Amino acid sequence: MTIPILWLVLAGPFWAALGAWRLPRVYRKKGLDDAPARLIGGLGGLTLGPFLLGPLWYFTPDLGRWYWGGGTGILAAFELVGLFAIMQSDNLCVTNASYVANQAANGLTIGFIYALMAVGLTLIYSVQGIISFAHGQFYMLGGYVSYYLLLFLSERFGIEVNPIVGVPVAGLVTMVVGFAFERLFLRPMHLGRVERAGEYAILITFGFGFFLQYTALAIVGPFSQKTGTYLQAGSLQLGTLVMIPNRLIAAAVGIVLIALLLYLLNRTWTGKGLRAVSMDKQAAAVTGINPLRMNTLAFGIGTMLAGMSGAALIPVFTWVPWVGMTASTRSYVIIVLGGLGSVPGALFGGLIIGLVEALGAGCYPDPSKGAAYKTAFGLIIFALMLLVRPTGLFGREP
Amino acid sequence: MIELQVRDVYKSFGGIQALNGVSFEIQGNQLIGLIGPNGAGKTTLTNVLDGVYRPTGGQVWFNGERIDGLPPYEIARRGLGRTFQVTRAFRRMTVLENMLVPAMALHPTARQRDFHKKAWEVLEFLTMDHLGREFARSLSGGQQKLLELGRLLMLDPDIIILDEPFAGVHPKLMETIYEYIDVVNKQGKAFIIISHDMESIFTLSQRLLVLNFGELIADGKPGAVKRDPAVIEAYLGEEEEEEEGIVLIEAGDMEDAEESDA
Amino acid sequence: MIKRLLQPRWIAMVVLVGLLVASPAYLKDSPYQMAVVTGAFFYAILASSWALLAGIAGQFSFAHMALAGIGAYTAGILGRDLGTTPLQGIIAGTVLAGLVGLVIGILCLRLRAAYLALFTIAFSEILRIWLLTEFQFTEGSNGLMLDKLWEGITGVQEYYVMLGLLLGSMALMYWLASSRFGLFVRSMREDEEAASAMGVNVVRYKVLIFVITSLIVGLAGATFYHQVGIVTPNTMEILQMSLVIAMAVIGGMESLLGAAIGAFFSRVSLEMLREVGVFGFTIELGAWRYAAFGLLLIFTLRFAQNGLLYPIIDRLFMRGARKDTVAKRTLAEEET
Repeated sequence: MTIPILWLVLAGPFWAALGAWRLPRVYRKKGLDDAPARLIGGLGGLTLGPFLLGPLWYFTPDLGRWYWGGGTGILAAFELVGLFAIMQSDNLCVTNASYVANQAANGLTIGFIYALMAVGLTLIYSVQGIISFAHGQFYMLGGYVSYYLLLFLSERFGIEVNPIVGVPVAGLVTMVVGFAFERLFLRPMHLGRVERAGEYAILITFGFGFFLQYTALAIVGPFSQKTGTYLQAGSLQLGTLVMIPNRLIAAAVGIVLIALLLYLLNRTWTGKGLRAVSMDKQAAAVTGINPLRMNTLAFGIGTMLAGMSGAALIPVFTWVPWVGMTASTRSYVIIVLGGLGSVPGALFGGLIIGLVEALGAGCYPDPSKGAAYKTAFGLIIFALMLLVRPTGLFGREP
Repeated sequence: MIELQVRDVYKSFGGIQALNGVSFEIQGNQLIGLIGPNGAGKTTLTNVLDGVYRPTGGQVWFNGERIDGLPPYEIARRGLGRTFQVTRAFRRMTVLENMLVPAMALHPTARQRDFHKKAWEVLEFLTMDHLGREFARSLSGGQQKLLELGRLLMLDPDIIILDEPFAGVHPKLMETIYEYIDVVNKQGKAFIIISHDMESIFTLSQRLLVLNFGELIADGKPGAVKRDPAVIEAYLGEEEEEEEGIVLIEAGDMEDAEESDA
Repeated sequence: MIKRLLQPRWIAMVVLVGLLVASPAYLKDSPYQMAVVTGAFFYAILASSWALLAGIAGQFSFAHMALAGIGAYTAGILGRDLGTTPLQGIIAGTVLAGLVGLVIGILCLRLRAAYLALFTIAFSEILRIWLLTEFQFTEGSNGLMLDKLWEGITGVQEYYVMLGLLLGSMALMYWLASSRFGLFVRSMREDEEAASAMGVNVVRYKVLIFVITSLIVGLAGATFYHQVGIVTPNTMEILQMSLVIAMAVIGGMESLLGAAIGAFFSRVSLEMLREVGVFGFTIELGAWRYAAFGLLLIFTLRFAQNGLLYPIIDRLFMRGARKDTVAKRTLAEEET
């Protein structure tokens, strides 16, 4: 017990400092990228000390791929577990492996829906070059469309339908709203009719989100709502894992829709047009693609995905007019983590954030506060990512 | 006495070697042309001299002081000014305010009013005094270019690096820029001019530096450089008749954006 | 000298300040209206300092409300635990807000536009969640109680305190914006690299602008929440921040005065329109006010990007700067 503490307090920081400050120099001298060496050297020095730094120093393997592919995550997780083991040895995350597995499985499940929403945002960014600060409000809108549709069907016609019916309808409505907003307010920017386009894009999307949110608040009121669940079944036992079928279906919706989007992007002409515009607007225009139409389309698809993920999640979570706020911050976290404009990055980032939130909430030393800090864990990773590597895990180099 | 020494400068981006041991020296108010095919490292060299990039190896000495590794504003205050390939006027500020920025940066205790007179004089010299109160964004491309040159004069540098001053400029404006270079040079300032416009560069410069693949392959009088086989090979990739070879480049790409992106 | 003082803008300023100084005489019978106007001063300080940070220096920060909250929470917690006087608490809160601003400024040196916005959103969310969760220390969502500025302070006195803060910070910001500082931060907003090549120490000015605006909002926040008597984590919500931004944009985010006036009138009208009487019926407007405000925001952005007050401000204050059209005419003349 005392030995690891001594190791961390005395030797760990020394090796960490050595790894973070001297190792990059060795890499630079050999003409290699020194950015990964700094973090890996620091983290690795802290945990493994000379055992990791020695080989790195001597062989200087290329760390780039391993670094961005999740190696740092493994090291950081190692560090955290070590920290928990020392500070709070009775923590469930240290003592109970199946608890950890359950948390992780739940996190990944929700991660798919997070990813679906973030994919929409990243698609808008890759084609339009802007971040939509109204994304969370489209998500909120999607949820309410589904809610009111189901309410209308049951009250007017007495039909109780599965909430999954709400998903495409919500997608349609948010897409139409997205199209209208893009045509009215974003197209003038792309046509060069607006000064200071960058600032305008931030403010106009933000303003629209503000408008949507307060309109929803005015119509719905500050009360929480919820639709029926997808399935009545309580829980599903898979070995030691206990899954909630309701959430699994939400995740399945996410997976199916992401697969459809990937098909659209990679196999159809429209998708190829979208990707062409995202790579080079002018070159695409020369080949006969209308970038303006692609802009509108991308925005519409993006908002549609946000609305659909809202509709997919309203049977799982309760809905209030300000759910959009947390949801949109979470999507920023995901797309920056995965790399702005990268669809696989957003998928990956969504899963990571789902995992981080679930494990963070489950493992936080004070269980009563763990759940409250759920979003903060993702945000901390996000802030660090922005500072260390704003291009994210899969981002294009700036 | 103006003195710039570039000693064995290296610069690499990741695995790409953009500058590979470049050394030269400038003394006095020379007019130097810097040429080279696309991707030769001209803009990288400018950015190293200006402090935007820190060289991976080598040193830069300016007026008896080592300047590599200093931030751009420190180097600018020591007397090395540059323009950019794409004009970068401060668009939402008036022309006069554009002119005052470098003057105020150079004189930490002065007041803006003290430099109004000088700014108007420079604007008059550039035939832009009627535009002094306009926003820079309302100027034409050529006028913005002149504005950049004017801003440089307010900084009062010893060495001026002009990155493609003739690209996309109409003949009348070209004359103004010629005159500018001539007058300012006679006032005792050295110039390094990067250009793809071979005609201008050969008539203007007293000395030519030729970069290729990050290495300095020729350094000498324009006439001699023109006949240097290494230079001809660099431009054509193989031996050809010299005169035509160099003229061919003129029609070539004006853009040299490959490094400014890096 | 007299002629200079008779210029329209000086007259306008004197009339404006005179009205503000004199209005308690009319408002003092209604404590509610007095409090609304005092609150509007607070929002005017927030909006104008945000205009300095975002409109003039080009740093799109969303951490303004969080910094005001830091000022208030510091003052409140020190007063509760160490028994400091409100004045000492306000000084400590201001300093801490400035220090946090310094750290944000240093961290954000490399981040531009949207990235900066995202980072500051993350910062204020983390802070808000922390304040909400660590309720043993911060009272959580119940809010932290703060003492009044002094025993038996009256509404009129609070009004003048806030007005003083507003006028003081406006004077400071105006002086900054018109000095070399303003020249440099504007050149930095336009093109950081070019400003640096012209000898402007961009690192110093970028950090400085964060520190200065943070100090101002920290001071305003600590003082204002001492008057309100309570501060909750909800004041730091991004939506609260977007309210400030909307006010600044509607007034004109490139003009300190425009942003301040815009915020003042937005705040007052949002408060006054809680319910409207039409033909003898009273209509609860509730959240609809904000929805309409959001609509006003996006239409202002789209069709009057410089803010609704721009034409007035321009006429009174933009000395000498003629319109773009004149330049274009000269251009056209030259080319023919």
